[in-house]
Formats: sequence, C-alpha cells, structure tokens
Amino acid sequence: MQKLPARATRNGPDTPPRSRPAPATTVLVRSARDGNEHAFEELVRSHQDRSYLIALRLTGNSHDAQDAVQEAFLKAWRGLAGFREDADFGTWLTRIVINCCHGQRRTQRPAEPLDETTPDSTTPAADVIVENQHRDRAAQRAIAELSFDQRSAFVLHIFAGHTHTEVGRILGISEGAAKVRTHRARRAIAVVLQTWEEES
Amino acid sequence: MTDDYLPCGVPFDEILDQVSDHRPPQDPGHQASCPTCRATFAELGKTWSSIDDLAAHEVRAPTDLLRVVMDRIRELSAQPWYAVLTTRDGDTNISARVIGALARLAAQDVPRVSHALGGGPTGHDHSPTELAGNTGETATDIGVSGTHVVVDLDVVVEMGSHIPHVADQIRAQIHKDITAYTSLTVAEVNVCIVDIDNSD
Repeated sequence: MQKLPARATRNGPDTPPRSRPAPATTVLVRSARDGNEHAFEELVRSHQDRSYLIALRLTGNSHDAQDAVQEAFLKAWRGLAGFREDADFGTWLTRIVINCCHGQRRTQRPAEPLDETTPDSTTPAADVIVENQHRDRAAQRAIAELSFDQRSAFVLHIFAGHTHTEVGRILGISEGAAKVRTHRARRAIAVVLQTWEEES
Repeated sequence: MTDDYLPCGVPFDEILDQVSDHRPPQDPGHQASCPTCRATFAELGKTWSSIDDLAAHEVRAPTDLLRVVMDRIRELSAQPWYAVLTTRDGDTNISARVIGALARLAAQDVPRVSHALGGGPTGHDHSPTELAGNTGETATDIGVSGTHVVVDLDVVVEMGSHIPHVADQIRAQIHKDITAYTSLTVAEVNVCIVDIDNSD
C-alpha cells in the first residue's frame, strides 16, 4: 500500500467531486437554513467522508460511526437556525460529530471482524495480509484505550490532519491543551503498541 | 521506552514527536552522530508504522449514509407542526398546539395578564388534554423546527400595567415552562398586547 504522510489530507474533506463544483459553503449554509434541503444535501455530500473518518476512529467500529454521523447531520439540520454565519461550518459540524460519538452508548461491540476472505495463511502474501490486519487492530485497540478527551485530540490531529490550533478550536480548549492531550495520547499509544509487539 | 530522557540527554518525546509527525530532527547533527537516538528513532518508526498504516487507509462514508440522512430530513420537513426530540431509543413529537397551550398557560400565570389569546381553551380549569385536544385549533402562533420553538402570543393586560415589564415577565415564564415541560429550546417569544382589560 502506498503510504501517505500521516498529516496529509486523505479524503478530500470539504472538497466536492471535481466534476460538479459546489457553491461556497456559506451560500449552502444560508440556503439550508432557509429550509433548502438540496443545499443541505450538498453539505452532507461534501462533509460526510471527513465526518465518518473522525467518527470511525473515535468509536472504533463502523456501526457506531454511521449512527453518530447520521445523528450529527440531523442535529446540524435542526441547529442551523442557531449557527452563526461567521463561524466555520466544518468546525461546527465536527464538534457535533464528536459530541454524538461521545454520547454513543458504551456497548462493547467487538472490533471489526477480519475480512472473511482472509487467504490461506500458508502463502507468503497471506502472511503479510494477516500481519497487517493484526497490526491495524492493535493500533485501533491502542486508540480505543485512550480517554475520550485524548482520543478526540489525537484523532483530529493525526487522522483528520488538523493543526493543534484547529483541534483546540473544535474541542473548545486552548492550543496548548490540545497539544498536551495529543502528546499524552501519542505516548500512551506508543507504549501499548510496543508492548503488543513484544508479546507477539 | 518510557524514560523521559535517552542516555544521550535527548527527550524521548522529541523522537516520538519526530516519528509521529514525520518531522525532521530538532538537532540533525546530533542525531546523525548518536547511535542511541538513531536506534530509538528506528524502533519508534517501526512501532508507529501501524498508526501510519491506519492513517493511510482511505475511509469513505457508507454509500447509503447520504440517502438515510436526507430521508430523515425530508421526513422532518414534512412535519412542520411537530417539534421533535430525538433519542437513540426513538423520537418524541410534540404538537405545536401543545406548545401553544403551554405558552398561553404560562402567560396567564403572570400577574396583570388578563388573557392570553388563542383558538383553544386556556383557562386553569381545563386539563392539558383538553387544552391540546381540539384539532384544527388556530391557537397561538407557534413555529417549530426540530427542537427549537418560536412563540408569537397575543395577550390582554390589566389596566394600569407597565406593559414592557409584563411582556418581559411573560417571556421569562414561557421560557421557563416550555423548557421545564418539554426540554425544547425557546428561540424567541414575541408578545403582542392586543387589548387592555379595565373591567376591575
């Protein structure tokens, strides 16, 4: 797999499909606030991947992530009346997504199952695939062990590519506090992953 | 691994930040000549690669997410006469007529308010069921969108009342009662004084 730099923008968040440029977000937000469902649909379309990525990394499973993102968009639609135009829609929406993830029931869902098409582990290629899957799951478990505050800062910085200033703005904390949370999360994850490597 | 400083005096966290943020070393000269730093960098690079791999996964929102969200939103838009409280266990729809009845009762609790007007019965001798039970009731004008409510209310006040003060009291009482009884957010209360009662 071609690795991307960890801080790169991976999913083209807030970027509409190239073949159909979307109007500016502000115009869409204003129109959606007036009850235009099509405008809101464009907003959903352009923010859904980024929102889902954040929810997936925060909740650790696709079911909760999808529930949280759906709930977040509904809350956003209902809350548009109170959205200030000088605020950033993406920041506001991300905050709602995070709140929805936080509010998720703490059901102990199992981690995402391994791909059912897991190949015969006797072939070298299969070994690599299985190893990668185990490493992914170890990483997901290490993230899941973080406190929600640390996980939020870590996910926003490492997976969504936000700067510490942006992380602070989204979470309603100072840039310094965002840095500390991300840093502590990094340290905790490094310890967990190294322990996992030693044991395996 | 969890020591704060490497034997060479470089903070462990400095190498961890370098690895996780893909940054150049803070002191390239030292790192190039220090075997401890280079070994730690290599070890952490291997450990952190599982997070990098996870970050490199292309995450897309589920294909049906947009449809599900927009279906719900169209459903909400089709029910403008209900405020909706959404929980994970289901929705609670509160009729605008109920909110109107609550607003009128709240207004009538304010001293020097003779009548809060609307199409339905609002006297203290009526039960809430009776108050909200008549279909086709014009009632006080109520705007609802999701969890937000706007109340437009016509009232008659007693002769000699300080009207702006009474209007403020009405607003406060309506805010208090609707929040307490429905958990909805009162965005606006507009009071129109339509008459003066000088019967006393």
